[in-house]
Amino acid sequence: MSTPSRAEPVAVAATPVDLSVRLTADALLEIVAARFGLVRDPADRWDLTVRCSADQLRDVVQFLRDDVRLRMDMLLDIAGVDYLSYPDHREERFAVVYLFKSLAFNHRLALKVMVDETDAQVPSIHDLFKIADWHERETWDQFGIVFSGHPNLKRLLNHHEFVGHPLRKDYPVQKRQKLSVNDPMLDQLVLRLRQNGYTVLEST
Amino acid sequence: MKVLSPKGEQLELLTVNMGPSHPATHGTLRILCALDGETVTAAMCEMGYLHRGFEKMVEQGTYTQVLPYTDRLNYCSAMMNNIGFCKAAEKMFGVTVPERCVTIRVILNELSRIIDHLVCIGANLVDLGALTNFWYFFNPRESVYKIWEKLCGARLTNTVTRIGGMYRDVYPGFSDDVRKVLSEIEGAIKDVRGLIEHNKVFLDRTRDVCVVSKEDAISWGWTGPTLRASGVDHDLRKQDPYYGYENYTFDTVIGTTGDTYDRIMVRMFEMLESISITRQGLDRLKPGPLNADDVRLSLPSHDAVYHDMEALINSFKLIYEGVRPPAGQCYDATEAANGELGFLIISDGGTNPYRIKVRPPCFTQFAAFGSMIEGTLIADAFATLGSINIIAGELDR
Repeated sequence: MSTPSRAEPVAVAATPVDLSVRLTADALLEIVAARFGLVRDPADRWDLTVRCSADQLRDVVQFLRDDVRLRMDMLLDIAGVDYLSYPDHREERFAVVYLFKSLAFNHRLALKVMVDETDAQVPSIHDLFKIADWHERETWDQFGIVFSGHPNLKRLLNHHEFVGHPLRKDYPVQKRQKLSVNDPMLDQLVLRLRQNGYTVLEST
Repeated sequence: MKVLSPKGEQLELLTVNMGPSHPATHGTLRILCALDGETVTAAMCEMGYLHRGFEKMVEQGTYTQVLPYTDRLNYCSAMMNNIGFCKAAEKMFGVTVPERCVTIRVILNELSRIIDHLVCIGANLVDLGALTNFWYFFNPRESVYKIWEKLCGARLTNTVTRIGGMYRDVYPGFSDDVRKVLSEIEGAIKDVRGLIEHNKVFLDRTRDVCVVSKEDAISWGWTGPTLRASGVDHDLRKQDPYYGYENYTFDTVIGTTGDTYDRIMVRMFEMLESISITRQGLDRLKPGPLNADDVRLSLPSHDAVYHDMEALINSFKLIYEGVRPPAGQCYDATEAANGELGFLIISDGGTNPYRIKVRPPCFTQFAAFGSMIEGTLIADAFATLGSINIIAGELDR
């Protein structure tokens, strides 16, 4: 038995954490307000959530990711919200909340995009963050919000024969659907092979 | 499937379904692969086989009724989900739980992290053909479950916390039991390390297999041990400390390469850190109040209910209606065994949550899995699947 030579596999690091480099919520807001004129969402009384329009979204996300003061390099989650039965809600029906975190500076910021019911569309950011692909698929699946530009906007959690979007407030909790045939997924596999540089001659 | 490879050769690819029901997926996951011989050329993952509609169900009940559902997210470390949800709800109320409650939560958190890692590594090694380690790890895990049974009556789905405190205090002799099990775990880790660390089969099958770079891990939104295995020094207990973790002495374990070996070993060494944190927690466990003294959250004492009208009404309201966090949107996260477990809670000021979005840590890991295994051998794909610890309950919700 021999151990192949290689650098020490696991380093145990006692890293001193400098929590002072973290920007305050006000400082973060000031930066995005100066650049895009964004305002704070009053619903988030605990941390910083910033309102943003669907048209601005891609520019804002890219700015958050690349700006040297912000460096929000991690997209934690994308959450859909249906405000249909929210008391005294007078704006668009849906919202999409993007949660960002900076690993470099440890600050966090959430973006909230209000989405209209009749034209439920938000531009996709799958090319800016790899994980956005699946988060967007989940939000489409659960709320029916379309992420325009997404290469493979298919259902993720629910069965492919499922009709409707279950997390909408008007989807009845007790409703049942009969779902039978498994998704062959061959079309997705062919798409993936093409992305990897293969030419598919015959897909059976 | 007939294809032309990027080099222009004509190949006959075999399409194979891994899962949804397969022993090596440790849950119901499906991976559809196109194989060239034994090499994976393309893989697409499908999830949702364990989708129960957690996020729809929790909108139907009260905040306290969410807790049993959280047990079923990552069922290998159910208490961490309880703690994560309660911490998020407590943030909305602006309540700080008493010192004793915090210390108990830290102890339970770290013990849960250890048993989660025991399952992950143990099962991962079974995938590699090393069954003995599984038994070495499952014996101390069983001892921890005996402690859980004595603590709250349940083994797997504990529902041990309440918003603003705990279900009940620890039993007499809890510290001794935990100290005993900690040395048992240390022994098991020593045994398993002795079996694998110089084992050529293990090293050949895990080293430099499915390497994930720092940049990729971050772009995939990885957190927890898998992110640290890729060499990123990030742990919420250090970078965003809560529950006084900044006052405990422990190290962050980070990998150097980001391969399957690092992902297993980071978990292995993290258990040793967790053992140390648990011991420090036990030393700090002092008598004191357990639940937050807040009429919005905590049930009044029996004595008060029998002798005070206000307390009786309060008790009724809390039982029949439940707690009412202020209206608004709040996100809070804890470092769970698999990574950042977050809860985005939207409250309309009523007794039922308006919307709860869970950020399950292994969702991001499974999203990356398809592209991780492309170009590797099918046997390595299984070894890698074990190392990213996909828990279907948490993944599919």
